[in-house]
Amino acid sequence: MKRLRVQILRRLQLRESWIIFFILGVILMTFPFLNIFNKPVLLFGVPLLFLYLTTGWIVSIIVIYFFVIASHYESKQNDEKSEP
Amino acid sequence: MSSVIPPVAAISLLYTALIFAIALYAHHRKETGRSIISNPIVYSLSLGVYCTSWTFFGSIGRAATTGIDFLLIYLGPSLMAFSWLFLLRRIVRISKEHNITSIADFLSQRYGKSPWLGALVTLIAFLGIMPYIALQLKAVSTSFYMLTGAHTTAISFSKLGSDATIPITLLLALVLALFSIIFGARRLVSSERHEGLIAAIAFESLIKLLALLTVGIFVTYGLFDGFIDIFERFKAIDPERFTRLFTFNTATNDPNYTSTFTLLCLSMGAIMLLPRQFHVMVIENSDERHIATAMWLFPAYLFLINLFVMPIAIGGILVTGSSSNADYFVLLLPQMTGQRTIALIAFLGGLSAAAGMVMVESIAISTMLLNHIFMPVIIRITPREWFPLLLINLKRFGIILVVLLGYVYYEIIGDSYTLVNMGLISFSAAAQFMPAMLGGLYWKRGNKAGAISATLLGFLIWLYTLLLPSFIKSGWIPETLLTQGPFDIAFLKPTELFGLTGLDLWSHSLFWSMLFNISSYIICSILIPQNDQERDQVHKFIGVFDREEAQRRTERKRLSKPVTTDQFVTLLSKFIGEAEARRALDLYASSTDISRDGTVSEFDLPNLKRFTEKTLAGSVGGAAARAIVNNFLSDIGSSMEPVYDIFSSVRTNLDQNKESLYVRLKASEIINRTLDLQVIMDDLLTLLVKEFKLDTALIFVKNNEQGYSTRSVQSADLPAKRTAQWHAEHIPYLNVVYHEQEAYFINDIRLEQASLTLDKSVTEGFISCAHIPIYREGEPVIAVLSLFSKSIAGLFTREFIELLTSLAGQLAQAITIVQEVEEKQQERLQKEIAILQAARITRDMEIAQQIQKSFLPDSAPEIAGVDIAGRCISAAHVGGDYFDFFLRSDQTVDIVIADVSGHSVGAALIMSEVRTLLRAESNSSYSPHVILQNLNIQLFDDLSRTELFITMFYAKYNSETGILSYSNAGHNHPVLLRTSPNASQELDAEGLILGVIKQVPFEEGTVELVSGDVLFFYTDGLTEASNSSGEMFGTEGLYNHLNAVAHLPTNEIIDSFYARIHAFTGSQILQDDISLVVVKIL
Repeated sequence: MKRLRVQILRRLQLRESWIIFFILGVILMTFPFLNIFNKPVLLFGVPLLFLYLTTGWIVSIIVIYFFVIASHYESKQNDEKSEP
Repeated sequence: MSSVIPPVAAISLLYTALIFAIALYAHHRKETGRSIISNPIVYSLSLGVYCTSWTFFGSIGRAATTGIDFLLIYLGPSLMAFSWLFLLRRIVRISKEHNITSIADFLSQRYGKSPWLGALVTLIAFLGIMPYIALQLKAVSTSFYMLTGAHTTAISFSKLGSDATIPITLLLALVLALFSIIFGARRLVSSERHEGLIAAIAFESLIKLLALLTVGIFVTYGLFDGFIDIFERFKAIDPERFTRLFTFNTATNDPNYTSTFTLLCLSMGAIMLLPRQFHVMVIENSDERHIATAMWLFPAYLFLINLFVMPIAIGGILVTGSSSNADYFVLLLPQMTGQRTIALIAFLGGLSAAAGMVMVESIAISTMLLNHIFMPVIIRITPREWFPLLLINLKRFGIILVVLLGYVYYEIIGDSYTLVNMGLISFSAAAQFMPAMLGGLYWKRGNKAGAISATLLGFLIWLYTLLLPSFIKSGWIPETLLTQGPFDIAFLKPTELFGLTGLDLWSHSLFWSMLFNISSYIICSILIPQNDQERDQVHKFIGVFDREEAQRRTERKRLSKPVTTDQFVTLLSKFIGEAEARRALDLYASSTDISRDGTVSEFDLPNLKRFTEKTLAGSVGGAAARAIVNNFLSDIGSSMEPVYDIFSSVRTNLDQNKESLYVRLKASEIINRTLDLQVIMDDLLTLLVKEFKLDTALIFVKNNEQGYSTRSVQSADLPAKRTAQWHAEHIPYLNVVYHEQEAYFINDIRLEQASLTLDKSVTEGFISCAHIPIYREGEPVIAVLSLFSKSIAGLFTREFIELLTSLAGQLAQAITIVQEVEEKQQERLQKEIAILQAARITRDMEIAQQIQKSFLPDSAPEIAGVDIAGRCISAAHVGGDYFDFFLRSDQTVDIVIADVSGHSVGAALIMSEVRTLLRAESNSSYSPHVILQNLNIQLFDDLSRTELFITMFYAKYNSETGILSYSNAGHNHPVLLRTSPNASQELDAEGLILGVIKQVPFEEGTVELVSGDVLFFYTDGLTEASNSSGEMFGTEGLYNHLNAVAHLPTNEIIDSFYARIHAFTGSQILQDDISLVVVKIL
């Protein structure tokens, strides 16, 4: 029972973090952050805003990738635990 | 230049053939059970249908004109992917469970299977997608002209001998429609996933990505020297444009990033809600696990496809010197630099993008049209044989209609809008589904009225603020409407509604439509109650992750008349063709134990009905399928009651639950059939096990403080005797149930482990159990009904427990009745025994009386000169009175009269003992006082032991001498009546009652009797006889009567005395024994 609760909690935490990242992503796409990078300058020869958006995009893809791997691992672990 | 047309057309055809080959191959693989599309990568690629000509051409145009905000259209979906793990997974799960065919079906089912909502959503999707299709047609035809350099927009058929011309775009539209029909509407079972279509889409996604990457690399590294080179050159050449393109606010002069946010929102909604996205993401999803991979792979795809958009756009500006025709840079740049191959690849990429979108979109929408617009009309007609043909052709017609409408829009709008702006109109339309969708998934109160009003209002505002202005701009509708408002009311200007200015077209429309949409959804949902069906559906949609197991058990319905599977085959044939119907039913029959030609049992039928509905829903949509099946059932006289389910019913009115009524009815039949409790319990448990698919049911009765014994065990499979090994661990629960008088249920034994180990039950495979007390209101618990299930966790819902409790109450009633009947029988039996015993006793007493009577002398001894008579009449059957005569010699007679206290058998026995003793004594010649003395000594022990006493008068008369000698042991004094007046006397002699003291002297008196003397011996019954007023007969009465009758013979004297006593008491029954002995001296 206790073990199960820990697992569920961990799961909930994971699920919460999905939502947190989702909201964070939306925030990064709104006024204050956009305003910081919304300047017509080149950084390393690349326009700042373009750099910001593409880098943020790549980072978010990597974050999701790791989350998916983690959740795979976790669900696999759960399966193994619940089998015997 | 027109000579270029044939090679381009030929390559297009070749390409098309390749796509077909892939689709066929995928289909073939699926048929052989080795699906190639059931693969997360293919799934992710198929989601790439999001990237259409808009991406391929339009993004670059957007990037070159308004700048970097084109990216928002792709950033939105990437962000949305974060939510897929819970949002998309939920939608997919629900859709699979309900065999949902489209987004319209999804919303309609969620809101109580409302046909109106389904039709509304279909209408919005149908109209909303029009600009999007137009966009594809425009992009592909334009790119075709560019590639071929064709100046005409129509192909002339003059060579064929006629002057007919046909616009290339129309031709393209028709070709695309044909594609769609071939891929999506060859057969009618749309719930079956279109493997071929998805394979084609995935392949096209790959092609368009590779094409764009090819062009991108060519431009970036072929024409220029990499990204940095392009950006730096651009900044140097045209810094003003650089500022405009690489920042957000300069284009729209909008400091608050409203338009940024609007684009983000629109694209986030579009990825979930566009009919084609819903189709590939949800309907065509073959495995939920693919979603996880798609969550990062799809954003990565979007990233890659957009990576070179900006360089191409900038490169295009740098090469051409302007941003006009920027939409087609991807084609123009290779062409201008003489790279025809790359240009052709770019063209194929664009064609891929457009064709994929048009196919999926038109199939998705035609499915919606068929199910939600055509079907509600068709189901009113009686099914005919040509129905399958009609339906499939309607679907094909739908596809053509969708594509043609797009074409018409393209003809009207033409070049007045850029590609992206056309697409955004569609995005805004799709966004109108968002509140109903999200609310439907997470808000239980969201209802039909809310969803319909919200979608309708949003749609109307979209129509007015976006679609209408697009027509105005094309000059199709007078521009005054836009500049001055309808009827010159500026307040209602479509693009400045209610005076809202300063917002771009999209933000303005989104703000107003969402304001009305969301608020009416919330207000209507709060104000208007949901009906039963809506609640039912809400439960199924929102609780989807909670009740995976229970779900399969729902909707058990009862039919009044048996139905055969063949009838269902017939029904299905009318819609999906006979072969398909047989195949489906065979598949179903193989998964259950129904034989296909046999009748369907009552409880398999709802499942079959459900299956039929599901199968039909695949081709005609959920609402229509339900109507069809219900109509059909009512036609064959087997009307199915409205949907309800016993286990997870959301209906609160349990009384309406036919299922439970049925079980109740059966239960009461069982209970009333017999008075044999064992049979009742066995049958009842069998009923429960069978009807509710339980595995074991028991009835426990408490033996003592600890133990329970099973009164009845019924099991679905395992031998009943095995149960003894595991149910012992449920005893604590039984104790609780006994004590609390309340049902206790465990819906998942595995989770219960912490509070109490139920290892054995778990080992046996039990998942859930319930213990229900069997008792009558206000009385202690009689027994406990225990039910166990191996298959269903969460089986014991509140309603189910209520039903079981009520059944237990019925059983308790039955037990009580049986017990009462048994008690009454027992009582009667005891009474009978008592009567029998009493009768035996009576008989014994009668025998005793006979014996006793025989102890008394039959007649008096005859002695000369003396008339003697004696008689005893007992009050009870046996009495304690005794008299006797012993003839000693011819002249001497002994007369004895005695009274043993009480009237019991004991008294009679003592009497007989007295008699025996006296008989023995009588042979002696002892005088009366010696005889009494001896008698006292002999009887003392017996008498004192039995606490009885004897009064006795003993007299000895010698007729020769006339002397009467006598002794008295406390007896009533006999009366001696003499003829001479006043000579009468009572004979008395000193002496104690026998049995008081062992050694007692008895006085002996003598008297000489003369002729005419009457000696009257009696027992106290005579003088103590009382009449109704309580007066006793008394000695006075005795004297009076004796005087009156003394002249009579002794026998007659005795007769008259008895007569007198009867007269005195007024009764024929004596209160006490009366013994009389009369001696008359003659």
